[in-house]
Amino acid sequence: MIRQTMTNYLKFFYTLLFVVLLGSASSYAADAEKESDSPIDIMGTVADHDYFTFFGKKLYLPRLFLWENDLGELKFSTYSSTKKAIASGEFIDIDHVITPVTGHMVIDFSLTSHLIYFWFGLGALALLVMFAGSRYKKGIGSDTAPRGAIQNLFEIFYEFIRDEVAKPNLGDKYRTYVPYLFTMFMSIAFMNSFGLLPWAATATADITVTAVLAIFTFLVTQFSGTKDHWQHIFWFPGVPLGVKFLMIPVELIGLFTKPFALAIRLFANMMSGKIMIIAILGLIFIFNEMYGNIAAYSVSVFSVVITSILYILKLLVAILQAYIFTLLSAVFIGMAAEEHEHDHKHDEHIHADLSV
Amino acid sequence: MLYLLASGGLLSFNTGFAIWIAISLVVFLLIMMKFAMPPIMQALEGRETKIRESLEAAEVALAKAEAISKDNEKALREAESKAHQIRKEAMDDAERIRNERVAKAKDEAEQIIEQAKADIEQEKQSALVTLRKEVANLAIQSATMILDAELDVEKNQKLVDNYINDLTKN
Repeated sequence: MIRQTMTNYLKFFYTLLFVVLLGSASSYAADAEKESDSPIDIMGTVADHDYFTFFGKKLYLPRLFLWENDLGELKFSTYSSTKKAIASGEFIDIDHVITPVTGHMVIDFSLTSHLIYFWFGLGALALLVMFAGSRYKKGIGSDTAPRGAIQNLFEIFYEFIRDEVAKPNLGDKYRTYVPYLFTMFMSIAFMNSFGLLPWAATATADITVTAVLAIFTFLVTQFSGTKDHWQHIFWFPGVPLGVKFLMIPVELIGLFTKPFALAIRLFANMMSGKIMIIAILGLIFIFNEMYGNIAAYSVSVFSVVITSILYILKLLVAILQAYIFTLLSAVFIGMAAEEHEHDHKHDEHIHADLSV
Repeated sequence: MLYLLASGGLLSFNTGFAIWIAISLVVFLLIMMKFAMPPIMQALEGRETKIRESLEAAEVALAKAEAISKDNEKALREAESKAHQIRKEAMDDAERIRNERVAKAKDEAEQIIEQAKADIEQEKQSALVTLRKEVANLAIQSATMILDAELDVEKNQKLVDNYINDLTKN
């Protein structure tokens, strides 16, 4: 049922998206989207795939399914690619969704392009940290000045997170959270930046990824919550009894809107940039089909200029959104971990930050 | 085109994918928190502490050096003024000694001249006395010779004495 409402919502969302982005061309693009000979494929570019593009070649990723057959037996099947899965005869492709012929899918554990780029993000950070770590172990940077662009860049980001994000928000306990915040910032920044490559996928333009990231911040927040934090949720201090009861649902909602906002903000920012570029470049191909190549050439001037500008903006947004995610994580953790006297300045602080 | 999103939409939450991401992130975060980050954090903190301490030490050292240099300057100025004073004293002494020497030399020279003058005078007096005696003797002898040849020794003696006396007066 939830899936059904979600689908309805999505239809509305797409329509809105296309109306806003493509104006009069929207109905055309939406229709073309369903056909295989579409000049541009917006959804195909932003959606997750079962393959990973490597130097222009599609490398198909393994499919792993946890499914239940009609006898109610739980099965775990692995195939090297989607084609193999279908060839096995146990699975069929219904509207681009792999479904068991009999029974139903429990969890689809397949590796996807977004997962690969998520791993790339973590891997890039791992390489950076290993490189920096080996430098510090050798004494370069710990006994002497740091050397080279990579180590200096690493220090800029690390010290930025520690001094500008962790210290002001987390107070004396900041040391515990620096690895978490640094990991979050750098991996999101890497994933966002990888998304700028034309052939790559943006892992953070996937609601699943951003939701998991936000859930992590949520869990870290709750596990570092002090007595004060929980008291503010279930028995708000300094207000009349009736208001205390009124505050419980409000605070509970507040508890969950924070990670929700984190997830949606990052997802929407990364997704919108990608869709914008595809849509604006897609105008060239749409004009080509609709009005011929002269129109396409003239539109291409506009499209390329706007795309170049958007790319600069996206580069900024890639780092900025990683920063915002990390900063808000630090703010939320800091609020929960704070041993505060009962002033309510911090509430204003949250609301101000949530509007970013 | 195969979308792995269960319902083919962008806003659907893919559980299998989420589990992958959660596992990757947990493993990665644990490695970062336990092994990767602490040495780096310590190294950087150590370096910052070292730099801060070095700066503080340098400041102290600088203050000390400044104090020392101020002392040195003071000592130098004192030494200079002392040297100046000594030189002045030496020059004064030299001047005084020179003056003394010159005065003494002058005195001595004067004394010598005086002495020489006195000696000359004395010699002159004695020479005069001797001369007078000699003249007297010569006169007497000549007179004796005359008297021997002539007469009246007494009258002639008287004449001779008168003559000598007149000579002395001249």
